[in-house]
This record gives sequence, structure tokens and C-alpha cells, in this order.
Amino acid sequence: MVQKRKPERADIVIIGAGASGATAAKVLTEQGLRVVGLERGPWRKRETFSGDELANVNRYNLWPDPILNPRTYRESASKEAKIELFCPVPQMVGGGTVHWQGWLPRFTENDFRLQTIAGQPSGTTLVDWPISYRDIEPYYTKVEWAFGVSGAGGVNKYESARSDDYPCPPLPTTRYGRKFYEGCRKLGYNAFPTPMAALSRPYNGRQVTVQSAFAQQHGDPTGTRSSALSVFIPDALKTGRYDLRPDCYVHEIVVDQHGRCKSAVYQDVDGDFIEQEADVFLLGCGAIESARLLLLSKSSRFPRGLANGSDLVGRNATFHEYSAAVGVFDDPIYAWAGGGYVAASSFEFYEHDEKRGFVSGCHIAAAGVGIPLPINWSLPDRPLWGAQAKQIDRDYFNHTFAIGMVLHDMPQHENRVELDEKVTDAWGLPVARITNKIHENDLKMGRWVIDRNAEILGAAGAKKIHRVYPDRISGNCSHQHGTTRMGDDPKTSVLNKWCQAHEVDNLFVIDGGPFPTGTGANPTLTIMANAWRIADYIGARYNSDRKSLQSLQS
Amino acid sequence: MATFFNSHQRATIEAAMARIIPTDDQPGAREANTIEFLDRYLSGVDFIYARPDGSGFEKLERKRADAWRQRIAILRTKYVEGIKELDQKSASRFGAEFVFLTGNQQDHTLTDMERGTAPGPAAFEAQATVGPVEPALQQTSAEIDLDFFQLLTLHTRQGFYSDPIYGGNKDRIGWKLIGFAGPESLAETHAGRFTTLPFFAEEEVDWTQEKNHGSKT
Repeated sequence: MVQKRKPERADIVIIGAGASGATAAKVLTEQGLRVVGLERGPWRKRETFSGDELANVNRYNLWPDPILNPRTYRESASKEAKIELFCPVPQMVGGGTVHWQGWLPRFTENDFRLQTIAGQPSGTTLVDWPISYRDIEPYYTKVEWAFGVSGAGGVNKYESARSDDYPCPPLPTTRYGRKFYEGCRKLGYNAFPTPMAALSRPYNGRQVTVQSAFAQQHGDPTGTRSSALSVFIPDALKTGRYDLRPDCYVHEIVVDQHGRCKSAVYQDVDGDFIEQEADVFLLGCGAIESARLLLLSKSSRFPRGLANGSDLVGRNATFHEYSAAVGVFDDPIYAWAGGGYVAASSFEFYEHDEKRGFVSGCHIAAAGVGIPLPINWSLPDRPLWGAQAKQIDRDYFNHTFAIGMVLHDMPQHENRVELDEKVTDAWGLPVARITNKIHENDLKMGRWVIDRNAEILGAAGAKKIHRVYPDRISGNCSHQHGTTRMGDDPKTSVLNKWCQAHEVDNLFVIDGGPFPTGTGANPTLTIMANAWRIADYIGARYNSDRKSLQSLQS
Repeated sequence: MATFFNSHQRATIEAAMARIIPTDDQPGAREANTIEFLDRYLSGVDFIYARPDGSGFEKLERKRADAWRQRIAILRTKYVEGIKELDQKSASRFGAEFVFLTGNQQDHTLTDMERGTAPGPAAFEAQATVGPVEPALQQTSAEIDLDFFQLLTLHTRQGFYSDPIYGGNKDRIGWKLIGFAGPESLAETHAGRFTTLPFFAEEEVDWTQEKNHGSKT
């Protein structure tokens, strides 16, 4: 390795500048710490985005190019893994918050104690979290108020107690949202405007969100949507203590003779290798890539990968699955309005109810069908070509919407992320190999909830309904959790409740990796709230006694 | 403008596209100029990403450019081979190359090609790119894993419905057909002037009347 230059030692290195990394960078720099941010992807400014469906949805403008950054998938260890675009998240400053439309529901109290409530279904590793809703609640409020989340507290009758309302009222109602409310009202279901990372009113010097059709899976050229890129990165930079280095791909975290993290070795945009030392290391690469980086960081002290004495790094991976019932209506819906995901939600099927015959439940919401834009819209029974296909486009493009579900897939020991020694990325490193077999509980939940969604569409007046039952976990949500489980017992978890590695006291994982369960709700609000919580903890410890950080213990 | 196809290849694909999105009482792929869209795409890496303000195309660099060169080379091979197969099937069944067949005969040949598409999980996933068989939120399989017929239907659709800057969707024919009130230009989206608010619901919900469920700590 050629050392181009050795940069000055930092207080903290945060690997990844997405939802969790940007949150932690904001919190730690505002507390006076010097943070180096290492982001493998580019730093794209809002001027580089536009309403270009072809580029963003079909040509990997935001998603990882599978030629450069492939992943492989197999259902079980006996099957051969093949390259798939599994769980694509933009690898760039802002991460997944660049391409999202930002549904930000909170988890509920029971999400943190599901094993206590529902038991542990056979074949799963379902556990309670080592923290409670009460631990995370103040941080939910902090993120919601930093972002200016638009929503209506108190309307979702299943939400847990809030210390404050949403800072902005709900976004304008879409026609698909209104249909959903009608259907729910007829069936006696509670429904509420999906809390969203967008501004319904001017907020903190930012303008009201522009309601383009190109939002879901598109970067925001106006900077009016709330994201790590538009809020937390600027907050961190304002302190003058955030040294954000894009196009810097960390290959390995090096440990010293005591088994503590010493440095991150990364390749910069010129291909040169640089070693960055720091007191504390935070991983926020997403649950797949953080696990991969730990597994890549082998040493004599950690021959199976950093902090992986338990062989749990990469295991218990959960990804959700998005599936939906799709309704066709006589009157126009224009489900591309607002990008298709200015949504309406219900938690009616969220809490566990043993009468349903499966454990837990999930968030449902009304949205466009898939990406409801001209190229990528479709219906389940649409032929690929010919006069009939054209007729279906013409008749139904403006007359359909979906009620989707965020499937709460159960954690399982054998569902895991490993290194694929047969496939390397464009930098020569083994890629992440996903092994994932859907659990019977997931299948049951999927069928049951899709049937309920279909009933809501019927009550809303759909003249035709398609039910699409999930049959595998395909990674189509981009959500990822569980690969570095937090828990109190080092034998059954990788991290403690502060998301600090049991085996390495100056190593923290701050993305969805620590989540012991995926829950049935969109994870990023909780990822950011948890990253804030951890950063607060580190900042307080560090500032009270810098030396003590050298031996941070929980 | 750089192009890839020779005149026979271009005529063949243009004819096939005209069956994939046929012209009826309203324009189809031929009028939308989807062939120009595809020929440009396969010409190299100069037309992969429009500049966000619509002022031209991005110049790709480094690994990104390498990856696209690889991808385009793979796609070119699939098209060249696919056109040969289309002509062979046409000749063995109807005694002439594809471009000389009637519309019905062309449909028969395309149906043959479609049947030749291997079923199974790979094909199922692959269709997610064309327009999801399942309404996956954002799943697309790798474009280079698709076979010729799948690519042809995918690229016809892309050429018909993508922003006109890419050479197809001439006069926004595709968008008009389905009633998509798309932007006048990419620049409109880039500047934040494009809005879909007129297509939201006409009446608002008064949520202040509903806020009686949750409790405050």
C-alpha cells in the first residue's frame, strides 16, 4: 500500500454519510468533536438531480450499478448464489434519504418487547430489544423537529405516547389518499396521513416542498424535501468540524495490539490508499455494508472479522418486503401526483393479535403502483407488448393505486449477510452475499394483510382488484436490519444497548444493523433517532473525560 | 448523431417496435421515434444520462464510464444476435425476413420469440424492469441479464415514455396517450417549476377534528 499522505488523527471517524452517519455527524460536531466522514460514494448536490425517470429508475443514476457494486442472493446455503440488485440504496452522501420519499412512522412500545408479547415463533430468533420506546421517544421528537416532518399527532390511534406533535401539518391530500380514507372509514378502520419527510409549510428557513411527480426514487433538485443531504449534512458542516470526504471507500478497519480500532484504511477517488486514525469509529454504511466491512476487517485478534467472535455479524438479517393489493377505479386517481407516495396510512393491522394466526403485523399505506410513472407503471395482468398492452396503459395509467404493506419479516439465524468469495466489486473486494429464506409467519402475514388491503380497495369502490402476495424476500424495500444485533448478552448479540461492540469498546454501529427485529414500519426515522441517541451518549462521555473514551465501557 | 444499427438492423427493430406499441387510432412506437431512442442508447456512452437541466448529456468518467461501456457492449451483442434470430424465425415460417412480413406475421414471429424466453424465476424477476409483474416498490433486475425479446419490449417502452430529451417520446406522444401531465422539459423539474398539485384531491381533510386518539406524555 502506498501512503499518499497520512491525515491528522480525528476524534471520531464515521463511515458512511447517509441517514445514520449524517445524524451522528450533526450531533457530535455540534458537541464540539472533530469528525472525519468517509463516504464511499460521490457528494451530489441538488443541482445534479432532475425529474428523469429513465436515469433514476432504469439506469442506476442513484442506485448502485450492479456491474460496479454487485450483490449476490441465494435462498439457502445449498443453492448457488446469483447476482441480484438486492436492497438497492444510493451509495452517496445522503444515502437512502436521497432516493426516498420519506415515510417516517414511529415504532410502537410493543415493537421493543415483541417476544414478551407474542413469544418466539419456531425457527425464528425473535427477541425483545435491550431498549424501550421510552429510551428512543425523545430522539424521535428531535429528528421530527429537525426535519420538519409533516404529520398529525394523535390521529393514528395505535401510536405510542408522544412528547410533542409534528412540527408541520400534514401534506395536501392526494386522490389515492382520499380513496384510502373512504375505504377505511366504511370498514371502521383508523387511518391517518403518513408522516413524511417533506414540508407542508416554510420551516427553519426552508421552503414548502415542491410536489413533483419525480420524487420516489429521485433525488430532489429543489432541496425542499427533508433528507440527511438537505438537513443534517449542512448542520454538521456549519460547525466547521465535519471533514466530509466523498469517494473514499473504506476497505478495512485496522485494530491495534489490544484489539481496539486504530484506523480506517480507505481508497480515495484516485485509487490511493489512506489511513485515517481516530479515537472512536462509527459504522453507518447500512446493515448490509456495515456487516460486510466488519467481515472484511480480519486480523489475528479477529480471524472471523471485527467484533465477530460470536459469529453473529451478518446473521438475523431482515429486509421487509413491499407488496400490495392494486385497485382499478372508474374515476381518475393520478397516482403519480406528488410522486405516488404522498400517502395515507393505517396501523389497524400493526399490533400483534394472536387471533390472526401469525405474529406481529405491519404498516399499510396507499400509494401509486410500484413507481407510478410512465415507464415503470404496470398492472399485474398487463401483457408485455401489443395492442392490449397499449390499451391497458391508456385506460388504466391514471386509474389505479395500490395499498402496500411493509412486511415484518421474522429474524432467523440462517438469514444472513456474508462475503461472497466468488464475486468481487470493481475495487477487488468480495461482495455481500445474502442468504434469505422467507419464514412461514411472513407468508401468512403477507396473505392476510394483502386480503385486508384488497377489502379496503373494494370498500373504496375499486371495480377490479389484484392481490399480489409476497412469496420471497426480494430486497425491494431497500430496508435492512439486524446484522449487528444489539442486546445485553454478548453470546447472543454483537452490540450492547449503546450499539457499542461487546468485543471492541471504541467501535459502534449506528445504522439499522443493531435492530434486533425489523418491525412492520419504515425504519429510517428510528435509525436516525437511534443514531442521535448513540451520538449523544458518545458525545457526553467524550466531553466529560477525553481520556476515558480510550476505554469506553457501557 | 452517432448511431449503432446498420440500415437493415434499424428497419427490423423499428418494425418490431411498431408491433410492440402499435399505431391504432392514436400514435404508437413508430410515431414516437423509439428507434431513435434505442439507436442512440446503443451508440456508446454519450447518451446515458441527460444533464439535469436538460442542456445536453453527462460525460461519464472513470469506473462509471467503464461499467457503461461494458453494459452497452453486452446489449449490442444481444441485439445483433436477436435480429438474426428474428430473421431466421421469419424466414423458416413465412419465407422472408422480418421487415417484409405483414403485421400479423410479425406478431406471430414475436410471439415465437416471447415463448422462447426461458420461464422461471429469472424471467419473472426480469419483467420487473419492463414494468413490474408484481408491483414491486423499486425492484429492477440487472438489465444485462435480460434476453433480446425482453430488452426489445423494455427499450420500446422506455423510448415511448421517457423524457423526450432521450430521442423518443416525440412531441410527448407517449405521455399524451396515457394522460401523464409531464413537464415541458427537464429544466422545469430541475428548477422546481413543475408541480402536480392540480392533480391532488380537491378537498382537504380537517385533521384537527381527528386528533383525539393519541396521548401526550
